Amino acid sequence: MNEELDSQLSAMFDDELPAAECELLARRLSRDDTLKSRWGRYALMGAVIRAERGVVLQSAVAGRVTAALSSEPQLADGTAGAPPYEGFRSASAWLRVVSGAGLAAAVAVVSILWLRWHALGPIGGPQQMASVSVRGAAHATAGAAVDGFMVPAASTQAASLMPPTALADYVVAHSAYAWPFSGEGLLSSFMAQDSRSLAPPARPEQRALGHGHASAAAH
Amino acid sequence: MRVLRHTRPSLLGAALAVALAGAARAAQPAVWLERMNHALTELDYEGTFAHWQGGRVQMLRIIHRIENGVISERLESLDGSGRELIRSGTRLTCYLPDRREVLVERVPPDSSLLARLPVYDKHLARFYAIHAGPHMRVDRHDTRLITVMPRDRYRYGYRLWIDRAGMPLKIQLWNVRHGGQIIEQIAFATLSIVPHIPNSAFTPHLSTVGYRWLRNQSAPPPPSARLAWNALWLPPGFHMATHVVQVMPGTPGPVDHLVYTDGLASVSVFVERRVEPRAVYPVIEAARMGASHVFSTIVDGHRVTAVGQAPALTVRSIATSVRAVPVTATARPQ
Repeated sequence: MNEELDSQLSAMFDDELPAAECELLARRLSRDDTLKSRWGRYALMGAVIRAERGVVLQSAVAGRVTAALSSEPQLADGTAGAPPYEGFRSASAWLRVVSGAGLAAAVAVVSILWLRWHALGPIGGPQQMASVSVRGAAHATAGAAVDGFMVPAASTQAASLMPPTALADYVVAHSAYAWPFSGEGLLSSFMAQDSRSLAPPARPEQRALGHGHASAAAH
Repeated sequence: MRVLRHTRPSLLGAALAVALAGAARAAQPAVWLERMNHALTELDYEGTFAHWQGGRVQMLRIIHRIENGVISERLESLDGSGRELIRSGTRLTCYLPDRREVLVERVPPDSSLLARLPVYDKHLARFYAIHAGPHMRVDRHDTRLITVMPRDRYRYGYRLWIDRAGMPLKIQLWNVRHGGQIIEQIAFATLSIVPHIPNSAFTPHLSTVGYRWLRNQSAPPPPSARLAWNALWLPPGFHMATHVVQVMPGTPGPVDHLVYTDGLASVSVFVERRVEPRAVYPVIEAARMGASHVFSTIVDGHRVTAVGQAPALTVRSIATSVRAVPVTATARPQ
């Protein structure tokens, strides 16, 4: 990376780069993996400086930054403070906004391109819960959370219940109801970098948009 | 004079009280959220932001305009794919140059790419607390950190860095109970409030000659008349908000789609009508896709899949409690 580019990147994170140059740099950032890596490092360092939670630093440089900043006060987690505000209007508007939108479904074909099934390991964490057998229906009783899980050995390697594409379809269909700032799933649909590695596109007659079938039509 | 002497202190006192009350209200976190909701829906803006999810970063550009009550938006990938999404009123058009396709869909007139948070009412206050954090500097702007904290382990929280105009310069979905793990993040690199955005900003950059256009045209299939599905157990505050029937790619028949929400977090449950062989042990499979947890199992011979941007416990618990129930039965939230 040349010095000028490095300087620009640094200036961007020091709030010293003009907005127009920021956008140009952002475009270049999208195409340049080396630059993206550097950008990520700056972002992490910035996050540490701001004491953001959930940031994990792994590089030696980042480790030194962490050590240097270890005496800085941590960001308050907000557990204390003002009582909940109860003066808002009815909460139902939000669901009205997102429900039935079908926005994510509209780009379901796009989203399938990047979503992948992640095979998981043994029980133990949020990403380690594959093929877990639960106790039967009697344990899913009203008023009790299903916290206990049994893992019969025979079932731990059970065949997948569904293909990855079907799983992706469900995630996409749900994204219309996902967190408000996801563009109702549309932001994820722009994750295009994996599209080259995926299987051929689904047949048009297999696609579903919103609540009905999609049909090809001449424009 | 006597009147003046008498009333001046009262007027000053009243003015001071009003000012103090105004200042106190301005400091309330809910006021910041109100301001943000107003800005996201009422202001015209354009910006470039990084969307981080599941360890991946993508750069996007967004333009938002509201004119005579009609929302126009443009979302453009800066990652080289050339994908664009242009929304005008209720028409949403997705341009996919890498697939030489254009998808067209109808959307509600009041929806938005960067949607508002739900109103923070008494129901939400039972399950989330909101707090105003310190003033922080983000992207050359002074911001106030507003934190939405879940009160239990069944939901994620939010952190929002909101500037004086009400724009959220950075937004995080985070798991408070896993060391503050960030699930998803949006961070603006540039953001401008623009007084006038021309119509030309909402025309595609590419030519669609030779592209295939796909439109949603058919009506949804009818709900199942024989079976009603519901979750027998739900996390506190959750209820069924939506039940629709969808046709999904790769599934031979329609799928029941149930949506459970506490007003902020939501979990979808999909029930396929295809009958599977009954298993001795009901196997449940789990996965993570992006920021979503997914659990799938077989219930009464039907494949049941739950998906949600919520803690694994929440999604898993709902998935394993779904049963075919009488039509009149309802879920019993705790």
